[in-house]
Amino acid sequence: MSRAWLVILATVVLLPIFVRHSIATEIWIFAIFGLGLNLLMGYTGLLSFGQATFFGTAAYAVGYLLKQYAINVVLALAIGVAVGAVSAALVGYLCVQRSGLYFIMLTFALNQMFYFVAYQWTTVTGGEDGMPGVPRPSLLGLDIHAPLAYYSVVALLFVLALWVMRRIVESPLGKILQSIRDNELRAEALGYDVPRMKLAAFVLGGAFAGLAGVLYAMLFGIVPLEAIGFVFSGNVVFATLIGGSGSLYGPVIGSFVFIWLSESVSAIWARWPLLLGVAFVVVVLFLRGGVVEAWARYRAWRHASG
Amino acid sequence: MPLVRTERLTKSFGALVAVNAVTFAVDEGSLHSVIGPNGAGKTTLFNLLSGQLAPTSGRIVFDGRDIAGTPPHGVARLGIARSFQRTSIFPTLSILDNVWLAAFARQRSWRGLAWRRADRYPEVAERAMAVLDEVGLAGKAGEPARAISHGEQRQLELAIGLAAAPRLLLLDEPAAGLSPEETKRMVTLVSKLKGRYTVILIEHKIDVVMSMSDRISVMHFGSLIAEGAPAEIQRSAEVRRAYLGGFAAP
Repeated sequence: MSRAWLVILATVVLLPIFVRHSIATEIWIFAIFGLGLNLLMGYTGLLSFGQATFFGTAAYAVGYLLKQYAINVVLALAIGVAVGAVSAALVGYLCVQRSGLYFIMLTFALNQMFYFVAYQWTTVTGGEDGMPGVPRPSLLGLDIHAPLAYYSVVALLFVLALWVMRRIVESPLGKILQSIRDNELRAEALGYDVPRMKLAAFVLGGAFAGLAGVLYAMLFGIVPLEAIGFVFSGNVVFATLIGGSGSLYGPVIGSFVFIWLSESVSAIWARWPLLLGVAFVVVVLFLRGGVVEAWARYRAWRHASG
Repeated sequence: MPLVRTERLTKSFGALVAVNAVTFAVDEGSLHSVIGPNGAGKTTLFNLLSGQLAPTSGRIVFDGRDIAGTPPHGVARLGIARSFQRTSIFPTLSILDNVWLAAFARQRSWRGLAWRRADRYPEVAERAMAVLDEVGLAGKAGEPARAISHGEQRQLELAIGLAAAPRLLLLDEPAAGLSPEETKRMVTLVSKLKGRYTVILIEHKIDVVMSMSDRISVMHFGSLIAEGAPAEIQRSAEVRRAYLGGFAAP
């Protein structure tokens, strides 16, 4: 097992000792969300500014089913993944027809559409008030109401998600997506149906977002309207950039920094987003590879200086 | 027996007819060169053959079927590979991955596409390494493609075309921008392809074309003005007027 995995497993085990359980849980949920985006943004070079569409749609759909039909948790997670993937397939099909700025604007515009549907459809979503009262039923007979119990479930799913994502990026598809990021015309000339490959990245990324959405709804017992809003879409882009897009662990580190910073610093200082702004500017100007690149540079520097 | 032939193939951009009713055929196993002054329509002809552009009219018959209008990825899957005049590689990927992707694209089955580890396709890796060996880049397989010299990138460009194990290989000025030394190596590489692949070659260096080609087609202002064996082309007065005269005496 690689050192990165050991570090992650150690963090998973130790985190709840140092950080409030709900925050620790949120970190891994947001990391799952970021993993999905990173497949699009980091590996395929598609800046999706609408990932909350899939996150929120899955959260609402499964939240509703949990409330009205008391479905079990395993089914809830499976449906969440499916809803995330299907909504991403719909959105992705429209978006991959265009590239560059138009692509980004399409993901954003469709996100807004979904947002306003959630905003207006108050009988189901609760509109501005959100969808409260999402239950957290037992998982295979185990009571997961206790924060630490739920944390364990989420952390386990995160490790599973990370492993699945590693398989994907190390597969031929992972290489093909990177080749599209590097040189779309060449990938097409080699025999790859570029729009279809992009759509595959969308669907996979949407599945991860869907899983994260369901876990989020069950964590807080509510689906807030923000869960499908563009700020949320922006946050995950932001966190992934800070961590380092295009490397497997980047979004995990990004989620850690982002959630931890926003939860701990916001308690002390109300203007904490300023800090995030500074971090963002630094990353964009000097560290395009985020924390992962900073670490690599530090290692290289230490190596060079003996 | 021609592997590929075109029938009155035409491509116009507005009022400009870039390729004008071009009819020609390329025999299986031959090296067929297309020459002509800048702007004659050679690269546009390649873009039509490889599907990057759809023809305005006319047919492209590859192995007995009309492929005009097939998208590039479909054309590639049929076994037509190309190299580009302006180097077109995957800069951040390793040199091995560059050719690996070309070899994988031509696999009959893409089983395990999103799940099997990419290094568990021994036949693809073998093909990729063999091709790198052939062009002399095997020693740099692990380096990112952007880190090597222009000359080496041209070799990689050729390797990407070869890795697809193409039935028809379109080479668009493989020696573009190379030093005399590098050109010599490229010529050796390309002439080693003779007989093993069916090749259509666009090249400006006339001595290279004359020494290597089985047949030569000459384009001028979008039209084919002559076709024949190298010796015939060299004798043709019309070709001299349109093309050779403008450069240097052969």
